[in-house]
Amino acid sequence: MASASIASLLASPAAPTESVGSAGQTDAEAKNAPKVSAGGEAAAKAAAANASLLSGHPIDALAGYTQLLESPQFARVGSPELWCNRGLAEEKTGDPAAASLSFRRALLLDPGFVPAQQQLAVVLTTLGLPAPSARMSRLFTMLSPEVMILGGAVIGWISLFLLVVLLVRGPRSRGYLVSALLALILGHGASLVGSLIDPRRGAEHQAVVTAKKGPALRSTPADSATGIGNLAPGTVITILSQNGAWWYVSSGSGKAAQQGWILSELATPLLPPSCALPSRG
Amino acid sequence: MCSTSNTGRWNNRCVTGKMISPMNSVRAKFSSIALAIALVVGASFGPAISRSLAADVSVSARLTRPQINFGEMAELQVTVTGASRADVPQEIPVEGLQIRLTGQSTQVQMINFKVTSSAVYSYIVLPLRTGRFTVPTVPVSADGRQFRTASLPFTVTDPAVGGGASPAVAGLPQQQQQMIPPMPGFSQRQVAPPRPQENGRVAFGEISCPKKTIYAGEMVPVEIRYYFDARYPVQIRGKVDFGSEGILVERFPDPKEGREERDGITYNVLSFRTLLSAVKPGVIDIPAAKIDSEIQMPGGMPAGFDDPVFRQLLGGQSPFVQARQLAVKTAPLHLEVLQLPKEGRPISFAGAVGQFDIDAAVPNPRVAPGDPALLNIKIGGKGNFKAMGAPVLIGTEGWRSYPPSDKFDSTDELSYTGVKSFGYTLIAQEEKHQSPGAEFSYFDPINAKYVTLTMKPLPLEASPGSGGGAAAVTSAPASPTVTQPQPTPPEAVVSPGDPIPGITLHSWWTPAHRPGFTIISLLLLLAAVILGGILYFVDLQARGGTASSRRKRRLAGLLSSLTEGSLDAASAYEAALEYAELVAPPSEKRESLIAGLIQRRDALKYGIGGTVALTVVERSRLLESLRDLSKN
Repeated sequence: MASASIASLLASPAAPTESVGSAGQTDAEAKNAPKVSAGGEAAAKAAAANASLLSGHPIDALAGYTQLLESPQFARVGSPELWCNRGLAEEKTGDPAAASLSFRRALLLDPGFVPAQQQLAVVLTTLGLPAPSARMSRLFTMLSPEVMILGGAVIGWISLFLLVVLLVRGPRSRGYLVSALLALILGHGASLVGSLIDPRRGAEHQAVVTAKKGPALRSTPADSATGIGNLAPGTVITILSQNGAWWYVSSGSGKAAQQGWILSELATPLLPPSCALPSRG
Repeated sequence: MCSTSNTGRWNNRCVTGKMISPMNSVRAKFSSIALAIALVVGASFGPAISRSLAADVSVSARLTRPQINFGEMAELQVTVTGASRADVPQEIPVEGLQIRLTGQSTQVQMINFKVTSSAVYSYIVLPLRTGRFTVPTVPVSADGRQFRTASLPFTVTDPAVGGGASPAVAGLPQQQQQMIPPMPGFSQRQVAPPRPQENGRVAFGEISCPKKTIYAGEMVPVEIRYYFDARYPVQIRGKVDFGSEGILVERFPDPKEGREERDGITYNVLSFRTLLSAVKPGVIDIPAAKIDSEIQMPGGMPAGFDDPVFRQLLGGQSPFVQARQLAVKTAPLHLEVLQLPKEGRPISFAGAVGQFDIDAAVPNPRVAPGDPALLNIKIGGKGNFKAMGAPVLIGTEGWRSYPPSDKFDSTDELSYTGVKSFGYTLIAQEEKHQSPGAEFSYFDPINAKYVTLTMKPLPLEASPGSGGGAAAVTSAPASPTVTQPQPTPPEAVVSPGDPIPGITLHSWWTPAHRPGFTIISLLLLLAAVILGGILYFVDLQARGGTASSRRKRRLAGLLSSLTEGSLDAASAYEAALEYAELVAPPSEKRESLIAGLIQRRDALKYGIGGTVALTVVERSRLLESLRDLSKN
């Protein structure tokens, strides 16, 4: 019972109560996957939207996905499949910038989600933007940050307890002690690295330019201010500060980095508005 | 009918500056009063107007011509009424037809304080073959709601077979249509003569079109100029009204202002330039291009002032002005529109009319396995860029391609000349060493023939992804779903672009941001500390406690054995010696006492009397010296 409650806490503080494994699922599978299944009603709505998309009605499909993703069930958790499918619908309705946002959200939830990786690369190429790093995509496909963080933490904590026992009561063999210390460092190190490469880290300060025409970066938060550059639709920006309806943002890195003001309505935060961080209530 | 939004900014704009006359102050007062009344009325009826604007949204579609001959074009108009914002598709896919969005116009009407705004989206319908078609329902997203228009029947007939003649040219004998000169010449500049308006040449308009015979779909630059006598202030009261059934007129850029002298009179000239194109063949008479204006002209003397002496004092000029509403018109424009020839039409022709050239580039000629490659094809020149279809890729075996993105960079304000870039995203399905080629066909109206431009394949190294080809993508190789709410298992092969079945839920937060993770980490740390403490305490207990307590216990035992007198003399001094070493830190006094104790112990141990008990006096003295040492 204790392990089950810990697993549910680790999975998500807002995991739906109906989230249980299927009858044929093994305990090991349930522990390895921090994912849970959605209810039957949501699945039926998703299937209907999928059918609309397959039958060539992307606008209907988009309405279905939007309604589903805005439902309370998906307020604090997300489904990479639904966001990816929504991106496909947006792509087919001729809105590649919005589609790039949806694919990025799918990859935020599951960075190793191959269909979203491929569709994002296609959409970004269409928008004239560089595709994400193929090396990182492959890395995420092989090793999920979530697994690294949780698995590393488990190994690290077990090693710590082992080390405590060895130091106090056990045979103070140098081999045992070094092994336990090494496992402790590797476990928590993997957890730390997983946290650092997790794309969700800092996502609350990021947004995607979703205006169909690339907006101009302005030197001051005013329509009449001098334009100091342009942001292409689909560009990821980092919000540095806010002044009313204006955001002070930065985009790019190195020599291509630029900073300036844009109207907040021209970009959409990477995280959906419903999923506020716990610290922010 | 052409309505433009940008010309609206000319409303109430004085072209020739302020008037200087006594009546101006009077007029200014009246204007202020009128403005105040307008503000009050606006404030009173503003909410009503807003409510009217938020009225129900309606969407409709109509074809200007439900039946056309092959080679002609029709116009599909999608009207969205009552919406503040609407999104319509750029292209409507119909097998055998090419339907592309070409422009939008907006009209706002207020009747009995009910405001209705309508947006009309114009599509050019270009048949690619004859037959009966159904223009499908057009999905429209308006104010966040989804609408669909009704489907419309559409027939394209073969002109050689007969029937289905265009209504606009039905009155023309067939022979006359065929006798229309096949090729218009640019040198035939059609300039309507200046047409003086009433009151002499106070204002007049001219229209200038370089051709009087054009092809359907051909873009022709048109210039409309309005001349206003520079002596009189003028206000533009509306927009340029120009257009006709079967004619598409692009939106007007901002007009240019200038001055010109005609017949000894200086005129302020407003020059509007635009492009027009015809969607159907036949003879088209476009009515005069009209613009409403208000001209401040000298008026007569009011009663009491109509005195010759007074007039002479003012130099013979009346100081009073009279506002005259004047609709300034150009001459009508007569155009003969030819249909595009059916003979020699290439398969890759997709509606481009003009003169173009082609260029192509592969930005990244070596892409990683499975990654998409980009092929950029640029069509440059002059013509109908908006209605132009994309080049057709050839040799696409082994490639998966997506509909191209397009971007037009105009080199003039009318978007008549420029470069249209088509970006093709390609994913290799097999080992490839060159890109697909492309064909682009257009109709050249100057030489009256179709031209096909060919782009040869470019070097491009690409190969499919390591997962057995990009054509098949498994739904979640790195994210096994916990349950299968969908009938399709996650391992099923899903084609790219198809929706992914199944729903798995993931947190938007990293574990570090989840309260559960933090709480459990702190609890585990606490548990480790407690475990270490417990283990240490148990170990300590097993080892008899701490050194201090062990020392205390030993001192108490030694003192007790000395006090009880149960030890023989040598053992008593042995115990006293241990006591002295334990009870006090090294000092001169302790060392002196220890030396004495050792001497006495050795004497007893190796001499006589060591096995008998100490005398009471000696034991008391010994205990006294030990207590004395412990006090220090």
